[in-house]
Amino acid sequence: MKPTHTFQAESITAGYDKKTILHDVSIDIPSNKISIIIGANGCGKSTLLKTMARLIKPTAGQISLDGKPIHKIPPKQLARVLGLLPQSPIVPEGITVADLVGRGRFPHQTFLKGWSKKDYEAVAEAMEIMNITEFADRNIDELSGGQRQRVWIAMALAQQTDILFLDEPTTYLDITYQVEILDLLTDLNRKYGTTIVMVLHDINLSARYADHIFALHKGKLVAEGAPSEVITSSLIKDIFNLECKVIEDPVSDSPSVVPIGRHHNKAVEAPNKAVIV
Amino acid sequence: MMNETISINTIMSSRLKRRRRFIMMTSVLAILSFALCCAMLMLGNTIYPIKDVIGVLLGEEVKGATFTVGTLRLPRMIAGVFAGFAFGVGGYIFQTMLRNPLANPNVIGITTGSSAAAVFCIIVLHASNSVVSIASVIGGLATVLVIYGLSKGSAFSIGRLILIGIGLQAMLNAVISYLMLIGRESDIPTAMRWLSGSLNGAKMENLYPLVIIVLLFTPIILFFGKRLEMLELGEQAATSLGVDTNKTRLILIISSVLIIALATAATGPIAFVAFLAGPIAKRLVGVGFSNIIPAGLIGVILVLGADLIGQFAFETRYPVGVITGILGAPYLIYLLIRINRKGDL
Amino acid sequence: MNNVSVSEKKQLHIPRNFIRVFIPLLLLLGVCILASLAFGSRMIGWGDLLDGLFHPDVQSHEANVVRQRIVRTIFSLMCGAALGVSGSLMQSVTRNPIADPSILGVNTGASLFVVCGIAFFNISSANQYIWLAILGAILTAIFVFGIGSMGSGGATPLKLVLAGAATSAILSSLVVAVMIPRSNVMDQFRFWQVGSVGAGNWESIKTFIPFLIVGVLIAIFTGPALNALALGDEAARGLGVRTGTIRLVAALGGVLLCGAATALAGPIGFIGLLATHVIRLLIGPDLRYIIPMSALSGAIILTVSDVLGRLLGSPGELEVGIVTAFVGAPILILITMKAKMRAL
Repeated sequence: MKPTHTFQAESITAGYDKKTILHDVSIDIPSNKISIIIGANGCGKSTLLKTMARLIKPTAGQISLDGKPIHKIPPKQLARVLGLLPQSPIVPEGITVADLVGRGRFPHQTFLKGWSKKDYEAVAEAMEIMNITEFADRNIDELSGGQRQRVWIAMALAQQTDILFLDEPTTYLDITYQVEILDLLTDLNRKYGTTIVMVLHDINLSARYADHIFALHKGKLVAEGAPSEVITSSLIKDIFNLECKVIEDPVSDSPSVVPIGRHHNKAVEAPNKAVIV
Repeated sequence: MMNETISINTIMSSRLKRRRRFIMMTSVLAILSFALCCAMLMLGNTIYPIKDVIGVLLGEEVKGATFTVGTLRLPRMIAGVFAGFAFGVGGYIFQTMLRNPLANPNVIGITTGSSAAAVFCIIVLHASNSVVSIASVIGGLATVLVIYGLSKGSAFSIGRLILIGIGLQAMLNAVISYLMLIGRESDIPTAMRWLSGSLNGAKMENLYPLVIIVLLFTPIILFFGKRLEMLELGEQAATSLGVDTNKTRLILIISSVLIIALATAATGPIAFVAFLAGPIAKRLVGVGFSNIIPAGLIGVILVLGADLIGQFAFETRYPVGVITGILGAPYLIYLLIRINRKGDL
Repeated sequence: MNNVSVSEKKQLHIPRNFIRVFIPLLLLLGVCILASLAFGSRMIGWGDLLDGLFHPDVQSHEANVVRQRIVRTIFSLMCGAALGVSGSLMQSVTRNPIADPSILGVNTGASLFVVCGIAFFNISSANQYIWLAILGAILTAIFVFGIGSMGSGGATPLKLVLAGAATSAILSSLVVAVMIPRSNVMDQFRFWQVGSVGAGNWESIKTFIPFLIVGVLIAIFTGPALNALALGDEAARGLGVRTGTIRLVAALGGVLLCGAATALAGPIGFIGLLATHVIRLLIGPDLRYIIPMSALSGAIILTVSDVLGRLLGSPGELEVGIVTAFVGAPILILITMKAKMRAL
């Protein structure tokens, strides 16, 4: 099981190009659990994730791992604990799947040595978890979008970090892949205790797979907690400006959001239907 | 568990296989480079047997050979080897960092910047060799800074950087032509040297800065080579893997510009070597291991080979830059076509 | 009634700045001509200038210098005009704000063919130069455009310029390769690497004239159609323009002009780029006016560059190709910096 870490973002103000997106956000990531950040487009969830993954430097506040500010920890050392699934990463030409996954071992490797036994084991295991072992020798260019995403996740897994950040890992993928990847990540968490922090756009999948939810609205943290506590119709109204009904998911016992629009609304249209008779 | 052992073995064996290929190809390249070095020393108007050559190298007095081999051919060979290596490695690093084989020091004018600074010092300041070397480094670095500064801003893209580099190169070429005119350096050999590169007239005293810097900085570049591989995956992936991207890029750029600038000061900007070495290395050696040394060796082979061709294959002697220019042409076209097809621009 | 007169007015629409730009440009042209005659390694005073121009019986040294410079001035005006129009045609055909015969490598191709003609086939007359240069220009243009169009997006400006730069570099090496063994014979070595108007004489001017006229006529007549083309291929076809034919004719005109100029002056870069952009800034995007007016601005720019070259390189000359590169390249950079990447 992975060790326990404390990971805190304190009073973070951050943004891009002089535009501030996050205002004084403080969160405490629960260790060894799956946390999902939800919110409308532009609310800052991606920015928050990137700031925590040290891709963006906050203009105020600090991020600490086990009490130490992360920018004070040497990058390679930090990379052994903290990993990120990159968005739109670049595939170097002609590289095989095994090689790419192997690049994830960089934080554990030293200059002069080649791959150690542990490196091979980590790569094999990562590929096994993501079900891509059969592709080990194939060129990345030959794979489909869903398969490629699994390769990138495998690379992040091979890094064997204790904490893993993923920014919309399932966008553009078919629903099959979405569920499959979320299941695989859950396996990772249950089996090894990896702390997972994700941004997902699908509110219902978030409600189902998260142990802990962080809700952002306009750059501020407005709610956090277990999905059953946090996902309420008033919260959804607040952060998404959407009328909805929250029911119990018929498959799992997490909340499920049913949106209410202007049409196809039994409660509103039924009186009209009666007239047609 | 059994599955995992099988897959570990598969991965291991295929990786070891590729490593064998890498080691083998690199050794072949090294041997070829060595053979060309010998050819450079032995061949000429008079062909000296290997015995004489070794004698000269050991410091003995061999009649006739000491001058021809020691004073004429040896500096030429050393210039070719170190400049070729520098261009090859430098070009490879630029192409990898900017993720585009077209973004290399020749195209974006860095070698021209070094040449311009060197020519300025020679013609206007009548400066000594050490000053010329330093000036060429400053020229190269200044060019990088200017290109970077101009192409920065909210709309940064590699395409814009390349275009600005092309424009800058045109300007710098004009400056070089002007300097050569006012210095009356309009005789063809000197012009050739600064416009397309030549090993003619190489002298040992001029080569010390190049040799020393290449020997010093190659280990540094190799050390950061692994980080370069991570940079290839994009900014986010590299940071996540623990690479200090800004520091790495800075060190790699400075090192490459340094070796390229000094090589340019020694031989002029030998066309296309920086451009060709990386892609050829990748073809031969494959991907998956750091191609820095192979790219350098290919640079050596290209320069020495082209120089030998230029000296002996035709009735007239052609400077090495003209030969590499012609040799590089088809490959450049091929590469452009491939890039366009793949839609990387 | 009102509607008809409004549409009539639109057809006769002259860019509002036209008169305000045209007259000063003409005056500027006059000044340039005088400067070209008066300035140089020997500065000529007003009196001698008039002597040289109007009093053929006065045989003073200064007057003779002026007479020699007349040829050079006329030649540079013609080359400038040709290159200016060529650039504007190429820019409209490729819808590329940074197209220019030198950037696309067409000039180098033209000069390579002439050099080969001289080296291998002993060509020596100006007329033969021109036809070879035009052939070289056409082939290079096809080649560059072919490579630049491959792949998605067709011939984007970036791809075209890269193809052009690469081709130019290669052809340049070939020019040098052909010339090295013959450098004694070809003492015009630098002339074929970097253009100069110093080689112009009455014979070359006479040979040039028909090509210049044909080129400019093509430019003027394709103007309206090119305006439509600027809106996009589909929009143009909707307006009844035969896009393929127009492109071909305009490109032919461009290649003709730049080939002729290169045959007689060597490869001179950036004039097309500069001339067209200056006019566009002054007059706006109407190609019917940009194209002919770039003749005017091209003539001015080239002549001024030549005067600069003669002053800076005194007592010899700094070839005009060098001056234009030094002035034109920063403009290229500025355009690249300002343009939205999508446009590039």
